[in-house]
Amino acid sequence: MKERAIQLTINGTAMNLTVPVHQTLLDTLREQLGFTDTKYGCGTGECGACTVIVDDKDSLCSCMALAATMNGRSITTSAGLAFDGLNAVQQAFIDQTAVQCGYCTPGMVVKSTSLLRKNPNPTEEEIRKELEGNICRCTGYDSIVKAVQQAAKSFPETDAKWDNAVEVKAGVNA
Amino acid sequence: MSQFAVIGKNVPKVDAYEKVTGQPIYAADLKMQGMLYGKIVRCMDYAHARVTRLDFSEALKLPGVVKVLGPEDVTQNTYNTGACDEMVSDKVGDLLGDLKDQTIFTRHVRHQGDAICGVIATSEEIAERAAAKVIVEYEPLNVFMTPSEAEADGVLQLHPDKPNNQAFQLPEAMFPGNSYGWGDADDAMKEADLIVEDSFYVNKQKQCQMEPHAYIAQVDGRGRLNCWSSGQMPKITHLKIARLFDLPMSKVKIHSTTIGGGFGARLGIISEPETCAMALAVPGRPVKVQTLREEDWIISESRHAGDYWMRLGFKKDGTPVACQARFKANTGAYFTHASGVPFTTGAWLSGMYKFGALGYQGESYFSNQAPAGAYRGYGNPQTNFVLEQLIDRALNKLEIDPVQWRLDWHKGVGDDGWCFGVKYPSCQLSECLRQGADAIEWNKKSDELKNQTGVKRRGIGVSVMNHTSGATPMLLEHTVCTVMMNEDGSAVVSVACSDLGQGSHTVLQQIAAEALGLEMDEVHLKTGDSDANGFDIGSHASRTTYVGGNAIMEACDDVKKQLLERATRHLDTTVDNLEFAGKTIFAKNNPENSITVAKICHLGVYNYMDPETGEPEGAPGQIFGFSSHFSKHNSPPFGACFVEVEIDTETGEIDLLELVHTHDIGRTLHPAMAEGQMVGGAQQGIGMALTEEIYYDEQGLALNSSFTDYKMYGSSDMPKMKVILVEDPDPHGPYGAKSVGEAGLTSPVGAIANAVYNALGIQFKEAPITPEKVLKAIKENGLSFS
Repeated sequence: MKERAIQLTINGTAMNLTVPVHQTLLDTLREQLGFTDTKYGCGTGECGACTVIVDDKDSLCSCMALAATMNGRSITTSAGLAFDGLNAVQQAFIDQTAVQCGYCTPGMVVKSTSLLRKNPNPTEEEIRKELEGNICRCTGYDSIVKAVQQAAKSFPETDAKWDNAVEVKAGVNA
Repeated sequence: MSQFAVIGKNVPKVDAYEKVTGQPIYAADLKMQGMLYGKIVRCMDYAHARVTRLDFSEALKLPGVVKVLGPEDVTQNTYNTGACDEMVSDKVGDLLGDLKDQTIFTRHVRHQGDAICGVIATSEEIAERAAAKVIVEYEPLNVFMTPSEAEADGVLQLHPDKPNNQAFQLPEAMFPGNSYGWGDADDAMKEADLIVEDSFYVNKQKQCQMEPHAYIAQVDGRGRLNCWSSGQMPKITHLKIARLFDLPMSKVKIHSTTIGGGFGARLGIISEPETCAMALAVPGRPVKVQTLREEDWIISESRHAGDYWMRLGFKKDGTPVACQARFKANTGAYFTHASGVPFTTGAWLSGMYKFGALGYQGESYFSNQAPAGAYRGYGNPQTNFVLEQLIDRALNKLEIDPVQWRLDWHKGVGDDGWCFGVKYPSCQLSECLRQGADAIEWNKKSDELKNQTGVKRRGIGVSVMNHTSGATPMLLEHTVCTVMMNEDGSAVVSVACSDLGQGSHTVLQQIAAEALGLEMDEVHLKTGDSDANGFDIGSHASRTTYVGGNAIMEACDDVKKQLLERATRHLDTTVDNLEFAGKTIFAKNNPENSITVAKICHLGVYNYMDPETGEPEGAPGQIFGFSSHFSKHNSPPFGACFVEVEIDTETGEIDLLELVHTHDIGRTLHPAMAEGQMVGGAQQGIGMALTEEIYYDEQGLALNSSFTDYKMYGSSDMPKMKVILVEDPDPHGPYGAKSVGEAGLTSPVGAIANAVYNALGIQFKEAPITPEKVLKAIKENGLSFS
């Protein structure tokens, strides 16, 4: 089995890893490192449950990327958004009761944060468009859209990032 | 100001903080020391076949493979993955003809995805590679996919006790003439001035919960079989697993993991048997079975598809004189819920309108489709699609307004509900209809839409529904609750009720906090541990708040009774003279004479002798409240849904412009979560009406086992939604609550179909109403829109 040595920064911590070349980033995160806040929903990039932020802004379905191709990149999961308290999106998801079973939630939170980092004042249509790749079977999406709208009001000030974090509050699983 | 401290408030969901940071542990997230990985070898190439050769030799050669288990290597006991068989008495079960017809592994493949054998290996990857090396040869058998194919002459009978593959029909002994209803519908129909009649097809819809099924099992050092399961009925799982492996229940422990959505998919058991069988083969080692999404799709149960015939008779003035119906459900490859769904489909039908007479026949048939089972609504959306369309067809001919007719003829307080003899204790459906009609501007739009031109046509539709709050009196309704008062006056409430995500743990904690006069933080809900929790039938039939909530209230009453008795000793007075004020008990005739609940609880545990008097300081003993609650009541919720659509007659596309969901759910305990159930339910109802169905090819192989090919409404597809909760506290529900879990899905199905009818003048007899069907129908009806 071929392996490759890579460096990944995950939720602010740089890691030197050896990964099988055919291993997805999702499996590296979940199985190799224990970041189980990133969820397996379909394994084919259709549901968005495994969404992570790459290099602080863009989002990606981690089931669709091989870890070996991510050398040098920075990965943020939902747990990594919560430093010194929740970020605005996470708080808004609680306030708007946008969480039901919680399985899509980490991916939704990550995707919404990615959206707001790129576009801090999205219209409702832009929010819905951006979330099309993230499936939620519980909420019917209205509460999630409202949560993103709420978070947008205080973005980007309330978007704590790991690089200015002082202390890990919402423990990372690893 | 509200009379309640936490009831009716949008308190944060108890699990929301951990969920937004991704911390809860779902079964797939568990990793244990020495864990092995199980992979179930499934028949993916045939829907009906016999295994002629099974050879593990190549698989066993792969380094890391620990064992491979075939059909003969595991218990030969049979089981039913559904739960209905445990929820009725043995006598009723015999009358219904309930079957335990499933085995852990099989040599007779009855549907695509049936389990053949199980590989245990040191890693998931090795297990998968070894599974691919298991040699299985098949002899294909004739495939039958529908009730009519199943009952045809010469078709292989799937079960020896079920001739013509008829798994179930309403039994004569309980339902004379194999019919449910009242009066003589044949006779009554003769009085009708107008009869409408048609045959419909209702679709096979998938729950699509976001968490694919995953399990872990382990035989521990004491020989106990532990199973980590995300089932929505942990106590039924406990019983079924113990019985399947001939173990006393004390030797089985079910650990409930966080549930990533259910909607019925986790009702009963799924792959717990295979996982436990593998764990029993490697004592001491945990075995994890992670189901792939495409596997989940074809192995776990779906909604019952079927053929639904209905005939309705009316007087000229709209009086509904008779209703006759027959539902032939497709139960798929195994019995599962073959008796439950065909009954309730008729029950919801009978609970809706004041027909002079009603006769419903419910049946189910085996086929080589994946098993059908429980899905949110449990027969109700099927009835809604058919009944509500036929009602509107008649009203169109009679020139009666659909809202007005429903106001005039829906059942209400004091009428027989869906089960005869059980009267509706509360009903605000009329108010729902009035407020919903106003919200969508029904009268104005009805007029405006009469004179449309152009290729895009708009339509409005309405549909009403009744549902249930628990399954009384049809099925067992039982929840046990203990409330342990800590020595500081805070409480631990123990119940086995599951939270599938709908928020039941939050609501149950609200109910306990309110009942005990405590803050939310002073109550902890202990769930998910089959050793610690008493019995609960499980989360189904929209019962958890209504029945579980009442069980908690009973146990809290027990606590309060004990507190008052103890207070009489402290305050030297009688119970009649005592009253609670939050966390204090005081004497009514002298409010200064009081004691805190915390002090009573503390002295009960830390009970010492007074050195001066030689008497104990207060009453000894920790306070435990207890209830073993059997629900005597059932208070169904009601709802009316209003929908506006715009149809592009050139492409067949149906654009859902607005959906107004009005519901009577008694008192709302948590408005935001109730609204979430309504909007989320609507998303699934919309899917059933417009886009969702599992399609099969001629060989019986599923064609669309993925989120790309099985289209659900996404964030951009959803219509403008408005939820109106008409509050009227019910006399029996906890704090007046009725159910909300399943209610939101049903009425959108009929409302959308009726809005399409209103727009095009065409009724669609097959769900879902896809653009292809719209275009075909426009062509067949010779219509042109310009």
